[in-house]
Amino acid sequence: MIKKSVSYTLFAIFMAASLVLSGCAGKVATQVAGGDTPPMPPTTFPATNVPATTVPEKKVATLIFTQEFDNLSPLYSDMWFVWTTWQMFDHWAWEFDSNNEPFPVLVTEIPSVANGGVNADGTVITMHLRKDIKWSDNVPMTAEDFIFTWQMAVSPQNTVSTTYPYDVISTVEAPDPQTVVVTFSEPFAPWLANLWHGILPAHILSPIYQADGTIDNAEWIKKPTVGCGPYNFAEWETASFARFVRNDNYWGTPAKIDEIFIRFVPDDASQTAALKAGDADMGTFIAYSDVPGLQDAGLKIVIEPSGYNEFMFFTLNPEKNNPALQDVRVRKAIALAINRDGINTDLHFGLTKTPASFWDALPYYNNPALSPYPFDPAQAKSLLDAAGWIDSDGDGIRDKDGVKLEISHATTIREDRQDVQAVMQQDLADVGIKLDVNPVDDTLFFASYADNGPAARGEFDIQEWSDGPLFPDPDIYYWLCDQIPTDASPVGDNWFYICDEQLDSLIKLQSTQVDPIARQATISQINQLFYDKVYIIGMWQDPDVYALGSRLQNVKFSGVTMFYNIAEWDLVP
Amino acid sequence: MRGWTRASATTKGMGIMETTTSQIPTLTLDDLETPPLSLSQLAWRRFKRHIPAIVGLVVLGLLVLYAMGGSLFISEKYANFNDTSIRLQSPSAAHPFGTDSIGRDVLARTIYGGQISLLIGLTAVVVETLLGILVGALAGYYGGLVDSILMRITEAMLNIPEIFLLIVMAKYFGGKIPEVDLFGRTFSGSVIVIVLIIGLTSWMYLARIVRAEFLSLKENDFVLAARATGTSNFEIIFRHIMPNSIAPILVSATLGVANAILSEAYISFLGLGVQPPTATWGNMLDGANNYLDSAPWLWFFPGILLLLTVLSINFLGDGLRDALDPRSRAV
Amino acid sequence: MTRYIIRRLLQGIPLLFIISVVLFALMMSVGDPVATMGGRRVTRADDYERLKRQLGLDKPIYVQYIYWLAGNTWTKTDLNGDGIAETPGKRLGILRGDFGISLVDRMPVMQVIGERIPNTLILMLAGELIVILGALIVGVYSAIRQYSVLDHVLTALSFIGYSMPIFFIALISMFVFSVLFKKWGLPYLPTVGMFDPQAGKTITQVIYHMILPVISMSVVSLASYSRYIRSTMLDVLNQDYIRTARSKGLPRRSVIFVHALKNASLPIATIVGLDLPFLLGGAVVTERIFAWPGMGRLFLDHVNRADTPVVMGSLMLVAVAVIIFQIITDVVYAWLDPRIRYD
Repeated sequence: MIKKSVSYTLFAIFMAASLVLSGCAGKVATQVAGGDTPPMPPTTFPATNVPATTVPEKKVATLIFTQEFDNLSPLYSDMWFVWTTWQMFDHWAWEFDSNNEPFPVLVTEIPSVANGGVNADGTVITMHLRKDIKWSDNVPMTAEDFIFTWQMAVSPQNTVSTTYPYDVISTVEAPDPQTVVVTFSEPFAPWLANLWHGILPAHILSPIYQADGTIDNAEWIKKPTVGCGPYNFAEWETASFARFVRNDNYWGTPAKIDEIFIRFVPDDASQTAALKAGDADMGTFIAYSDVPGLQDAGLKIVIEPSGYNEFMFFTLNPEKNNPALQDVRVRKAIALAINRDGINTDLHFGLTKTPASFWDALPYYNNPALSPYPFDPAQAKSLLDAAGWIDSDGDGIRDKDGVKLEISHATTIREDRQDVQAVMQQDLADVGIKLDVNPVDDTLFFASYADNGPAARGEFDIQEWSDGPLFPDPDIYYWLCDQIPTDASPVGDNWFYICDEQLDSLIKLQSTQVDPIARQATISQINQLFYDKVYIIGMWQDPDVYALGSRLQNVKFSGVTMFYNIAEWDLVP
Repeated sequence: MRGWTRASATTKGMGIMETTTSQIPTLTLDDLETPPLSLSQLAWRRFKRHIPAIVGLVVLGLLVLYAMGGSLFISEKYANFNDTSIRLQSPSAAHPFGTDSIGRDVLARTIYGGQISLLIGLTAVVVETLLGILVGALAGYYGGLVDSILMRITEAMLNIPEIFLLIVMAKYFGGKIPEVDLFGRTFSGSVIVIVLIIGLTSWMYLARIVRAEFLSLKENDFVLAARATGTSNFEIIFRHIMPNSIAPILVSATLGVANAILSEAYISFLGLGVQPPTATWGNMLDGANNYLDSAPWLWFFPGILLLLTVLSINFLGDGLRDALDPRSRAV
Repeated sequence: MTRYIIRRLLQGIPLLFIISVVLFALMMSVGDPVATMGGRRVTRADDYERLKRQLGLDKPIYVQYIYWLAGNTWTKTDLNGDGIAETPGKRLGILRGDFGISLVDRMPVMQVIGERIPNTLILMLAGELIVILGALIVGVYSAIRQYSVLDHVLTALSFIGYSMPIFFIALISMFVFSVLFKKWGLPYLPTVGMFDPQAGKTITQVIYHMILPVISMSVVSLASYSRYIRSTMLDVLNQDYIRTARSKGLPRRSVIFVHALKNASLPIATIVGLDLPFLLGGAVVTERIFAWPGMGRLFLDHVNRADTPVVMGSLMLVAVAVIIFQIITDVVYAWLDPRIRYD
């Protein structure tokens, strides 16, 4: 008997020990101060004077990516994690800085009407290339590379991720090796933001294309050993890491850091642990809940607007969705009933705000600035009363003509979204609306109409996900009437089943307006329409969140070309 | 329990009468031998000696009381009430277990979460045991082609990694089953999905054990006798052979509950378990992943409760196994 | 016995077919690989149509299955979207050894899997070895010294070990041994990955990084295996022939290791044999948490992107291994225990 009780004492000691350990484990999360500061563009580090050391130890920076790239080539991937790498070994014709303003890289100046780069009606764009650009194997870059990129994008033999916007180009010509002339059939306003996202090396891929008929299987797509950026691709071991070394043949200012390692760590908690332990210099897509802990550990959190915001979209299909939502007063009541500012302040530590406009990250187009509907449950209740929805049977849910005010809401399975769903359920229950929550796995959620994707079929009254215009261009296309999917034409992106003639004509108009002033006016009208008719409810801003270790210096981010100044990054030991 | 006390009284009485009549105390055969103990009596005696099992039983009882009885004191509305301004508070008088990421009381959530976790454990085991017994008994008794087919199906199921089945079924049934109202509680349809998934992926082990038991038991004489007297196959399987193989089934079922509760935690880690806002200990643990050091009360309390539950069930199962082991000589 | 083996092998073939059909059908319900293509935005409608056609996903399920199984060299595919199939197919199908091309990274499936298998085997075999050795030591000791203090301690620890969810053990151990130890200035272990990229893939690096994942994985299995070994040893030790051997005066060591353990090892060998093929599948949760580049992560990542060729390829590999190992285990079992007879 005594022997057995010893073991149980030991058991108790073990439990107590784990309690003590967990108590020592760290401080309680403190609220991050600064709830009323808007998300700022990243601040620059104070330039430190690093004294010239006698022993030049190799400077190696380690970045953590939470998803692995599927390939490394421009044209072949839509992943954020692939886009970020392009600034390392390749370049765009013009890139975007930390204020998301374009600056020329491969061209001498950005084409505009003023310098003759863009013709009067906006259908012809002329680009003058810099003369000193060469690929890392010393072959100079010419207009041929641009023409080749366009040809590869539109070739039906290539499984490119998207042909936009190359499929609206009529021709690309090179009157001389340093000039590229792009001709559109119709004025195409979004050209500045969407053209030339990376250039393919014609001298390497063209022979492959001639031989195979496609460049899908080219070695370069996965291992782009020849590039024109400040770094060269060195190796990629799947699921493990990728390595980039400094391009000593770079035509611009050479990079300061010798090597960049990218590690793939899929789990959030593991990424946080690795950052805190100092096993990496940068983390990506940091969850807001990790921010205080990382800051305590001495890391800097940088927030960069990316054009994405989290929205709730109303689906207004008269046959499938709750008829209550056809009444704008009900939609407005829902917007008033949810305490979105509370969500942003409490759950995101005030690092994000409630977006008022679909173009929240492009303040130029949110002019005059709209402010989101306030949190006003009293007004919500009176709106619902006025619309005829009253609780006749005392069960806490309003009804009218025998139909209950039960709204179905769907979003993908993600902890922060599900937390907010619970908060919304309570807020809406307070005004008498029952919210049915439906979390759906994301590959199933976004499946197409033909595959019975629930979002595409408009099965839920409210759909929620993070979206935005084609940043940094304000172009949108979701709400076009001809984009509503039907059995006859199952491809269509208007998953909201909203056909509003006025909205439709405005959207079509803005994509042709090359003049920014006119475009701003049109988009302001669209903004006002969204606000008055409550087609969307903005939940929170969804910027890119990075964590920087103390060794990295001079790091700036862009919302479009994320690592645009990677050549200037430096490591302080 | 065949009138043990009465028999002993008469025996003793006879003994005493014996001694008074003959002056020489002799012990009769009846005094030397006690009536044989039945299986359940023997099992109970052995079980009582297994201290961990008793401890497990007691702890389990307390935990069930906590989860089920707790709802008498704390309403479900209180458990679901969230207030984002008091989120992530450490344990205090108002909230003994602290608050979670949207300001819900963790204590209340562990109570209601415990109900779901235990419910999932029990119902998944019921599904799994029924399937396992059915397949194993039929395969073991009939043998031949039936055995072949059933065993190939079992093998096929065993070949498909459980994780794959879990992911696929969770994704497929994900949003399709609506909320369910049971015992006055509303919970998400994903609970039913999880029960089915766990049940459908764990019956194979029991089926193999039952089949092995049947294979050896059916060669016994009592089966031959039953067949000779014309008993139907159904009766032979369920009335004669089955009760003799109840021991491994009982042990397997008990341990299966622990396994089901752990599986639920495992699926929740992958994000495919019971979806919030319905709480289970598993998805509370998953939700605490980002707060490992900043808010340890988020994982500590559901973790301890989970650990204690699984631990006590395992002790219980171990005790049962020792108690019901037919080859053990201990009394 | 040869007839039995041949019969089982032949039975395995239709089993593999059935498994492949079931798995393929299940993969269709895992999601749409073209829906977002891993990006943050839903794929545009015209790109969606084109990609589906180019990747062969617009065909009905049974046609896709046949192409996966036997290739499409006898038929033509329509690559340029004009509705006329003009390009001859290039896929050979799995029956001819072509596992297909991954939908995610467009690399041949065998190459993708081949890069990961060694990493998985390193981790899983090391774990299995530790588990077997540890379980033998703990189990035999517990059985011999039943009801001693150490037995109770080990019992309690092993119960706690397999009562905890594995991701919990993994995360807590990563936290304690990597982050906290470093904070407290104690010698610490690395957090994630298989090796430190700057140091390269050396043996010491790999072993150093392997410690935490192997420990997390082994705790659970070690606990259950040691309980199992303990109970089989106890069974054997209570047998008459052991009593005879003891009464004949054989030294204790001989009794335990020669007579008892040999007989107890039979069910143990069965369990180990049945577990071995699943090592190929890797440990999904552990690999994800420790960012170990193995088969488990491959599986999880590609299932999440609904990448049918890769998932089917790895599952079929595991299925084949399981069938073969089951046959081997049954044969070895029958050979070791003369009481077992197969018709």
